[in-house]
Amino acid sequence: MGTINSALSIVSQALDANQQALNVVANNVANANTPGYTVEAPNWQENQPVSIGGVSVGQGVTETGATSQRDRVLESRLDQQQQLAASSGSRLTALNTLQALFTPDSGSSSSNAGDIGSDITSFFDSFSQLEANPANNAERQSVLSAASTLAGDISNAAASLNSQSAALGQEASGVTSQVNSLTSAIAQLNQQIMTTSPNGDAGTLEDQRQQDISQLSKLIGINQIITENNGLAITTTSGQLLLSEGTSYQLTTGTVNGTTSFFLNNSNITSQLAAGGGSLGGTLTALGQDIPGALNSLDQLAYSISTSVNAQNNAGTDLNGVSGSAANPLYIFNQPAAVAGSAATMSVVMTDPNQIAAASTAEGSGGSSNATVMAALANQSIVNGQTPINYYSNFVTSLGATVSSAQTENTAQNASVTQLQTQNNALSGVNLNDEASAMTAYERSYQAASQVFTMLDSIMASALNLGDTTAVT
Amino acid sequence: MRVDPFYVTNLVGSLDQAQTSEQQLSSELSSGVSINSLSQNPVGAGENVLLLNQIQQDDSFTQSANQVTGQLQVADSALGSVVTELTSAISLATSANNGTMNSSDVKSIATQISGILDEVQSLANTSYQGQYIFSGSQTSTSPFTTSTGTSPAVTSYNGDENVNYLESPNGQKIQLNVPGNQIFLGSGSNSVFGALNSLVADYASGTVNTAQAVTDTGALSTALNYVSQQRVTIDNSITQTTAASDAVTNVQTQLTTAQTNLMQADIPTISTQLSLAETQQTALEDVIAQLNSTSNDLFSKLH
Repeated sequence: MGTINSALSIVSQALDANQQALNVVANNVANANTPGYTVEAPNWQENQPVSIGGVSVGQGVTETGATSQRDRVLESRLDQQQQLAASSGSRLTALNTLQALFTPDSGSSSSNAGDIGSDITSFFDSFSQLEANPANNAERQSVLSAASTLAGDISNAAASLNSQSAALGQEASGVTSQVNSLTSAIAQLNQQIMTTSPNGDAGTLEDQRQQDISQLSKLIGINQIITENNGLAITTTSGQLLLSEGTSYQLTTGTVNGTTSFFLNNSNITSQLAAGGGSLGGTLTALGQDIPGALNSLDQLAYSISTSVNAQNNAGTDLNGVSGSAANPLYIFNQPAAVAGSAATMSVVMTDPNQIAAASTAEGSGGSSNATVMAALANQSIVNGQTPINYYSNFVTSLGATVSSAQTENTAQNASVTQLQTQNNALSGVNLNDEASAMTAYERSYQAASQVFTMLDSIMASALNLGDTTAVT
Repeated sequence: MRVDPFYVTNLVGSLDQAQTSEQQLSSELSSGVSINSLSQNPVGAGENVLLLNQIQQDDSFTQSANQVTGQLQVADSALGSVVTELTSAISLATSANNGTMNSSDVKSIATQISGILDEVQSLANTSYQGQYIFSGSQTSTSPFTTSTGTSPAVTSYNGDENVNYLESPNGQKIQLNVPGNQIFLGSGSNSVFGALNSLVADYASGTVNTAQAVTDTGALSTALNYVSQQRVTIDNSITQTTAASDAVTNVQTQLTTAQTNLMQADIPTISTQLSLAETQQTALEDVIAQLNSTSNDLFSKLH
């Protein structure tokens, strides 16, 4: 049989429990805007009933702490998607800088400056004008000036690509220190979590760990493996161990063959990181694939134009009646030794316009048939089986298509991140309206319990006075 | 059902997007160019390179054609003067050949024809912008010199046989010069200088070997016809240049239209898009302001 005393005990426990629940609400509201905070819900537990004389009597409620509302699967999906989005995002940024070097020429005369396509055309056109008037000094001078413009614009573009590459290399190295500080923070949190709550959710600690993992996901591609006692191991996407429970391994950088490389436990994992994701993955893709690709196209263009034009000029006779020879070559451009690096070193070495060999060797200095052949190089497949202008046009189209597809990819991935973020926020974010309603409920419940307490108090007083209402109040 | 309590963040993301698109549209409007970066239209950007290449080529050919026409006209007018000179030489020779002149008159004819010879030689040595136009590719060498050591005197050619051509963008080759020996030193009776030198020799002594002089006069007529024929080549080149230049200008106009259509921003469409983006931005701002106001919170309803 229940007693007034036991009822008082039940009620005081209920007061405690409601107070604790209000505490949880207060904590939720306080952390409503804390990054990485996961909303907590109070745990209510019915006390074990006692059986007195065959009658089961309830013993009230206990609040056993709060549980974070989290979905590990959702969180790890979000992390993965963030790795992809960060990767395509940083690659896109690099590509946008890259494509700005090749802004389309609108066709107005003011926009021609710096446009390699226009430069190629002007250069070969200067030979067709020379062919009409081979001995004219102004026409010869304009061939050299068109050649300088072409060489200048190609070598400037190559220099810009090289400096972009250097800047990205530095940016990538900078990421390692962030990665290292995050992995060691996660390792420390792992240790605390494994000690304090090996079997359940570690609440705030786990929020911090998840926040760090999410930061790490924006930087590099990772895999998460849950270990025993609520610990965690993290590897790169391709499986190199970054941290295992309480131990983290440092990522280091160095330079191999002039490119920034990344090492983990003394093995070079640069290519794995490039394919892995995260902003580092995107930067490394731009660094290892997009920029070298563009640079190689420019090299090919510079090499082919320089060597073909030089060879043809050397095969003719200049205005002084001198024919080109192996010993004293009549070269317009700096003759490149190999394709690689041709764009950066492209320059005009000829200083005397009279050395342009407009005439063929069979002609007098006033002949123009060699100028005709040089002008016709514009329409010959001298660059990788294509005419120079077609090659440049294809280069521009394929670069544009690469940027455009990176854009589309990034937009889709960001949309997916947003969607997952929304799902995760719906579960783990602090909804102030929910908290307001929970608070009202607990407050009411507290008020009810205190009313019951007051009632029990007066019942107890009545019992003690045995009908005499004045003795005890 | 649970909802994302941070939905305003997503709305701000949409607001950013609306502003980005406004920025892009404004830059298209202000530059008047529809393709501001390669990724906007990769194929269009590539096509633009090729179109500009053709347009510039055409433009450059038109300039060359103008210049070439000038040179060809100088050659043509020189040959025109040669024809006039030769015509007067023939009439002088014809009057000397009719046997009515005395010795001093014949000598004077010889002197006059010799003057014509000098005049023709100087015309054959015509230069354009410092370059001899009748010396083949040896444009720095004066093409004709006369050595008077023999009788008749001999005019020799110091140029070569090379012909320069101008190639039009569609591959048409236009002849820019006719080597001087082909015009003035044709084989047999086609040689202008041969005939003139012979006539000077015929009349120099004052006594005329009529048969020889008539033959030489005949040769000069033949040579005159031959010069006229060679002049046709030059005239043809002028016609061809003009025609090619006109054709190229037509093509260039079409290409420029195509290039403009490709690159020019479509103002009405962009303006409409810009206005839509602005409306969206205003709407989003209103929604965000509304949602952020404190009265939209359950806490504000509690007492």
